[in-house]
Amino acid sequence: MKDARIDRRLFLRGIGGVTAGVAAATALSACGTGTSRVASGGGKGGGKTVVVRDSGGSYGAALQKAIYTPFTQETGIQVKVLNLDDAPLLAQIKQGRPQCDLINNSMMSHTKYVAQDALERLDLDRIKSVKSAKIPENQITDHAVGSSFYGACMAYRTDAFGGKKPESWADFWDTKAFQGGRSMCNPDGDLPELEFALLADGVPMDKLYPLDVDRAFKVLTRLRGDIKKFWDSGPLPGVLLSRQEVTMSTVWDGRIADLQKQGVPVTRQLNGMRRQFQGYAIAKGAANADNAYQLMDFSLRAESQAALAKAFPSNPSSPLAYAKLTEDERNALAGAPKYYDKGFDTDIDWWLKNESAVTKRWLEWARG
Amino acid sequence: MAATLTAGAPARPRKRLASRRTRVGILYALPVVVYLLVLFVYPIFSTLLLSLKDADGSFTLHWYADALTGVNLSVLLTTLRISAETAVLSLVFGFVLAQAITRLKPILAGLAMLVVVVPHFVSALVRTYGWIIMLGDKGLVNETLTSMSVPGAPFQLLYNELGVVIGTTSMMLPYTVLLLYGVMRGVDRRLLAAASSMGAGKVTIFRRIYLPLVAPGLASAGLLSFILSLGYYITPALMGGPDQTMIATLINQQVTKENQWNGAAAQGVILLVLTLAGLLLVKVVTSLGASRKKRSAT
Repeated sequence: MKDARIDRRLFLRGIGGVTAGVAAATALSACGTGTSRVASGGGKGGGKTVVVRDSGGSYGAALQKAIYTPFTQETGIQVKVLNLDDAPLLAQIKQGRPQCDLINNSMMSHTKYVAQDALERLDLDRIKSVKSAKIPENQITDHAVGSSFYGACMAYRTDAFGGKKPESWADFWDTKAFQGGRSMCNPDGDLPELEFALLADGVPMDKLYPLDVDRAFKVLTRLRGDIKKFWDSGPLPGVLLSRQEVTMSTVWDGRIADLQKQGVPVTRQLNGMRRQFQGYAIAKGAANADNAYQLMDFSLRAESQAALAKAFPSNPSSPLAYAKLTEDERNALAGAPKYYDKGFDTDIDWWLKNESAVTKRWLEWARG
Repeated sequence: MAATLTAGAPARPRKRLASRRTRVGILYALPVVVYLLVLFVYPIFSTLLLSLKDADGSFTLHWYADALTGVNLSVLLTTLRISAETAVLSLVFGFVLAQAITRLKPILAGLAMLVVVVPHFVSALVRTYGWIIMLGDKGLVNETLTSMSVPGAPFQLLYNELGVVIGTTSMMLPYTVLLLYGVMRGVDRRLLAAASSMGAGKVTIFRRIYLPLVAPGLASAGLLSFILSLGYYITPALMGGPDQTMIATLINQQVTKENQWNGAAAQGVILLVLTLAGLLLVKVVTSLGASRKKRSAT
């Protein structure tokens, strides 16, 4: 009997292990679960709460400081935060009981949600700031509005190449002139960096899409032996660079700013930066849709975007926001007008069609 | 689970069932059974169903075919290999550690346990940073080896299988140490003394007395770390490369990135079957051992 009992416990633990990945993700986001649907009984627009989903971490802390707290001060509406992955959130929306009202997510994820019929169609008349902040046309869709973008660019140790500076992705691939290990992203972290390979191979920035996948992987193969680690989380490239594990890495722009302040000899190269937009949408069946509209309107204002940019290296989608920053603050951002031509926008339509196949091929390629 | 409920029933179940005590016992067990049925058996069966459903709802096996071919199969084999390596290493180190801890004074033993368990409560990123400081090219280990001019240094101790196994073994150590410690404390020291009084050498005592006494603990500890490693995800991702991708990573990618629950369910079921197979194997081995012992006794 005793044996059997222990065995069952092992068995249950085993199951626990199986689901550990998902469970961990849920546990991490548990901080938001207590806040659900507080105002659902508040009647039409009478609720004084709005629940917003964001990805947490230092970005979440910056949003709290620069957006949510001032919003509550202005409107009296309490903002509760939910950190939840796409999969459980989509499941909630499908059941008709989303825990959150407003969703802060990548525009690519928003498009995936639309395919699942999980977002409310937006009434742009209720979001005045879209016009007043001059949000670019291509960042306004039927279901979501882009608020900022993040750039993936190159970061390198300034002490590694005897004063030489890598200028392009071709230099990133040139391990003779720029010696040392490399790091690039893993599909867990971001979209595979096929664009960088194509740029390194001489494809012009405006002719990238549709991506030539075969050619990109061929170019990636040339660098495979020098890639020591595929990073899967934002802070990792900085860690690898500061510990001299690698001399060059791809990085989310802004993630090495703290290292620079600490005096680590690293810097970024924005040539060939890949931009991906982040934006707001309202969950289908949101309990506090009116308040969600208000928070969305507030977040998209040029002043709010500028305030966020001061707290976190996110690049405002509103061109007016940059004028509200000091010269130094502006130039720290990859979105500053003087850098804008160095980068390109990710074609999310192409990636939506091809992400799954490329991810699978990436794994086959990386395992060699 | 059915095994649990019936395992205790001896040869004459009917008479047993009839007794009042048993009926009361069943009544007491009912809430747990209902709880497990609703929260455990039902989800597992719905996962199973999910893995057999095509996008349009029709029956299909192609998620399994997909999971057992190409890169998915090689990931599955990698998962099994790394889990086995982890199980063996954490058993060896766990055995030595637990053995050492049983000889310590209680206060020191508690302290040693703390040292073994504490890394569990450190966040994954901090732990990774720690491992890089220890094992990186410019890390403590390699710097020391280089300064001692050990040939071949610096060694690549991270982002390969060695790195992953170092990481997972350190994560499994608390389980094996705690389990083995309990078993070792239960060993009657007088048996060892008796053996030595009859002239058995140290090796003989260890091999013929001590090892058989702690064998059940070794089996459960090894199995536990194997099963737990099967579902491991964060450590291999942080300390390994693409060659050390584990199946849990694929499941996670399918669910969170591609919203592809059917394929993920199929891989989950495969993992579950492997776990059950592991349990069965241990059961078979232990019952074989027991029957052999019985035969040699008669």
